[in-house]
Amino acid sequence: MEIGLGTYLALASVLFGIGAVGFLTRRNILLQLMSIEVMLNSVNLTLVAFNRWTPGEPGAWNHHGQVFAFFVIAVAAAEAAVGLAILISLYRLKSSVESDSADLLKH
Amino acid sequence: MGFDIQQTLLWIVLLPLLGALINGIAGRHASKAAVNVVAVGSVFVAFLLSVVGFVHLAQAEGGNASIVFDFYEWFSIEVQRVGAPSVEVPVRVRFVMDHLSGIMTVMVTGIASLIHVYSIGYMAEDEGYARFMTYLNLFTASMLVLVLASNVPLMFVGWEGVGLCSYLLIGFWFKNADYAAAGRKAFVVNRIGDFGVLIGMFLLVAVVADERTPDAFEFAQINAVATRIGLTQVQLGGATLGVTVATAASLFLFLGVCGKSAQFPLFVWLPDAMAGPTPVSALIHAATMVTAGVYLLCRLSPVFVESPYAMAFVATVGAFTALLAASIALVQNQMKKILAYSTVSQLGFMVAACGMGAFAGGFFHVFTHAFFKACLFLGAGSVMHAIHSHSDADIRYLGGLRKKLPKTHITFAIATAAIAGFPLTSGFFSKDEILLGALTWATGFPYAPFMGWVVFGALVLAATMTAFYMFRLYFRAFWGEYKGGYADDDPHHHKVEHPHESPDAMTVPLYVLAAGALLVGLLGLPHAWHLPNLWSEWLAPGHEAFLAVLHEQGHGEEAVAAATAAAREVPSAMASLQFQGQMVHGADWIAWVAMGAGSLAFLIGAGLAYVWYVQQDGSAPAGLQRSMPGLHRILMDKWRFDELYGFLIVTPMRWLAYFAANLDRFFVDGLLTRASSAGAKALGFLLTRAQNGVVFAYAGLMVAGLAGLAWWFTYPHPALEGEAGTGEVSWVAGRGLGYEYRWDFDSDGEWDTEWSADPAASHVYVDEDQIYGLVAIVEAPRSMFGAEELVVTAGETVEVPTVNLAADWVRTTITTDGDADEGLFGRTPTAPTLRYDGGRLVVNINSANIVDRDGGDDGRLALRAGETVTFGGGRITVAVLVRGTVEVKNPFGNRSRESRDLTLRVNPGAEGGEPQAQVIR
Repeated sequence: MEIGLGTYLALASVLFGIGAVGFLTRRNILLQLMSIEVMLNSVNLTLVAFNRWTPGEPGAWNHHGQVFAFFVIAVAAAEAAVGLAILISLYRLKSSVESDSADLLKH
Repeated sequence: MGFDIQQTLLWIVLLPLLGALINGIAGRHASKAAVNVVAVGSVFVAFLLSVVGFVHLAQAEGGNASIVFDFYEWFSIEVQRVGAPSVEVPVRVRFVMDHLSGIMTVMVTGIASLIHVYSIGYMAEDEGYARFMTYLNLFTASMLVLVLASNVPLMFVGWEGVGLCSYLLIGFWFKNADYAAAGRKAFVVNRIGDFGVLIGMFLLVAVVADERTPDAFEFAQINAVATRIGLTQVQLGGATLGVTVATAASLFLFLGVCGKSAQFPLFVWLPDAMAGPTPVSALIHAATMVTAGVYLLCRLSPVFVESPYAMAFVATVGAFTALLAASIALVQNQMKKILAYSTVSQLGFMVAACGMGAFAGGFFHVFTHAFFKACLFLGAGSVMHAIHSHSDADIRYLGGLRKKLPKTHITFAIATAAIAGFPLTSGFFSKDEILLGALTWATGFPYAPFMGWVVFGALVLAATMTAFYMFRLYFRAFWGEYKGGYADDDPHHHKVEHPHESPDAMTVPLYVLAAGALLVGLLGLPHAWHLPNLWSEWLAPGHEAFLAVLHEQGHGEEAVAAATAAAREVPSAMASLQFQGQMVHGADWIAWVAMGAGSLAFLIGAGLAYVWYVQQDGSAPAGLQRSMPGLHRILMDKWRFDELYGFLIVTPMRWLAYFAANLDRFFVDGLLTRASSAGAKALGFLLTRAQNGVVFAYAGLMVAGLAGLAWWFTYPHPALEGEAGTGEVSWVAGRGLGYEYRWDFDSDGEWDTEWSADPAASHVYVDEDQIYGLVAIVEAPRSMFGAEELVVTAGETVEVPTVNLAADWVRTTITTDGDADEGLFGRTPTAPTLRYDGGRLVVNINSANIVDRDGGDDGRLALRAGETVTFGGGRITVAVLVRGTVEVKNPFGNRSRESRDLTLRVNPGAEGGEPQAQVIR
């Protein structure tokens, strides 16, 4: 099997699916945050792969996709920090890290 | 810097306005003296400026000199016209002082000055002193705008301004609910009249406005083209009503006159208006504001003169009002009530005079009436001041004031003599002019001369009544024994043992006004005496020319016509139908009859009052009252007009208001409000179900949404739009990342272009086989919906569903050349049908005989694209239908296709030139 763009996209899809399923099936916020990280990384993989296969014209190479991946990593770090802070607050309030216990705003 | 005479007009209006502004803002905190200086000073300086302007006019050469001050252009409106370009009509803030408005301005500022002075004494104890002075100044300013305005809208500003001030001043003591109600009544009744003025104004402007006379709001412009207004018919929805614009506009304007000048049927507000302080009654409701209606009649007299019907109506209403109000005044006991009905009656005299074409005579009565009626009201105010009354004085409990109030008595006596028509007083001369006008109508006019006799009789009777009730008032109040001012059992007032004469501030204006009442009549000496009549020469100078022609050509009908034409050539402030009737007939007898009738009316009325109330001490009228209790009661109740209007108008309005209020309460506030709030609540409940607090559900919805977006991006979306330009059609499809397009412009299944990344394409549709179909654009006569587009494709037959078209077609076949088609006549019309046949649109209209371009007689008409067939007011234009198709593919290789139809109106093309198809029968 030749390894091409499709291979990377397929891997990214599989990773995204694993993350999405994990996010949907877990109740533990810590695990859900990790699932989100998996999804973000699958997107990073597509960005880098697309950039590798369409790098632009000779003499005018671009690295937009790779730069984008770094942005995503930075945002993901920030998101993890905020998410964990919320997690700790929730634990203090409810003595639980189950996502369903954060239901103060429900109807 | 030289003195500019035009500027005086601006300051005449501005000074009282500034006075009102200063006193309105600062008057409450200022001393009484300061308020007086501002209020009286501003009006008095305006009076001096008016005199300056008037003298300037008097020195000017020519028939009707005027001073014009063009301030600025306020705004302009666009008058739409049928079948002609619209006209831009400016509304200017422009003041004009001519012979007519000059008199009015001097009179208004002069009498207003006197009454301001009087108010210093009369209102001295009132807590709302500064407010009162503010309103008076504001009134004066509004009245001056009304008088000096050069156009109808600006006059209307003053018209509304004086109405507002009248409302404010009638309800000046607004803590009394009755007084406040009287103010409201005056305002509402006047609104009815204002509506008439607006309609009349718009009627006039609609006729006057055109390219040559774009300044259609100006009085001068309207009067200059009065003949045209008199010849134009009123049209409503294309139908002629058989009424000239002059008649319609005059009658609508007269509605406004009825409101402002208290004529039947809108006179009911004026007697109630006496709830205001007495100086207000004197200034606004006797001397100035109520004469605004008569002023309007004079101002637009050339328009009124164009309509004999309107003139006869005006005269009749005026005479009827004069009689009606005089009859009510016969039995009233309240001093101001009698004077109020007397005012209504005298206004009736003025309006009747205008209706008879004696505009100068009617306006003369405005002038003299201002003096003696203001003097009478102020005299009544002086009496009320003496007995400490706020509301009114009952003549049954007065008497003997001749000795107690000598200064008030002498002035009141003079004014009474003047209004009653005592020979050689002002009222005698002006009333004489009016009676002469009635006789001239009766003997000299071609239209409805018998009405002249009726009006003459009514006016003489009203004059007799006037003399009687005025002397009844005078004798009972000033002669005999003093009775203390109030009834013995009056719960609110104590008898006043020693009534005191009023202060100088009040008596000096009385003296001035009494002198005016005595002397101003000399301006218009009777024609019978062959002495110079300054008044007529000032306002209607045409009669000089009239007499000259008459003197030359004798007194035949032709000579009168020639003389009238000559008189019209002379510029004058207003029209006149009254060129001295006795001269027309070559004899003075008419003038002597008029004067005799007036003198007789005075003698009978005043004599009867003397006999009954001085010699017999009132037993005879009391006996009459007992013998006819029904008549007396209905006169006391003012013919029960208030009750009638209450029954006819007020009560139904109350019901309507009650209904509307409850509709609001139960339907709007109850049902609608509750229903909408319940709906919002229910929607909110449904939407909050999504906020169930289960993070899994939120995440699931998000993932589903992402999946939907991914699916949408998988396929391309063409979103095709087309626009017909000149000669070609521009097609544009939607853009997208990596989209490629190819086109099939005629939708025949074969792609006309290769794939390209450009979303736009244009195509010229030349060949007939590129056309997808034809469109018949059917424009039916009188269609509410405009043109209707019918698509006809190959081999298809379409019926035109516009029934009007079929009916009109039948009518056309019968009447085109007067040769009735028996075969078609009477047949039920069927709708035309359209069929697509080989690139032509075949029109089959009701199986009629149609000769087409080729001379064929097959009952059908084949039209090419771009051709038009016209029949019976309807029209069918053939347009072309084209259908463009685009296919779009995206980088995934997915493709989408979309088609769109476009109607193109085209020229008939080289082959036909102008379309020649004609339905001939």
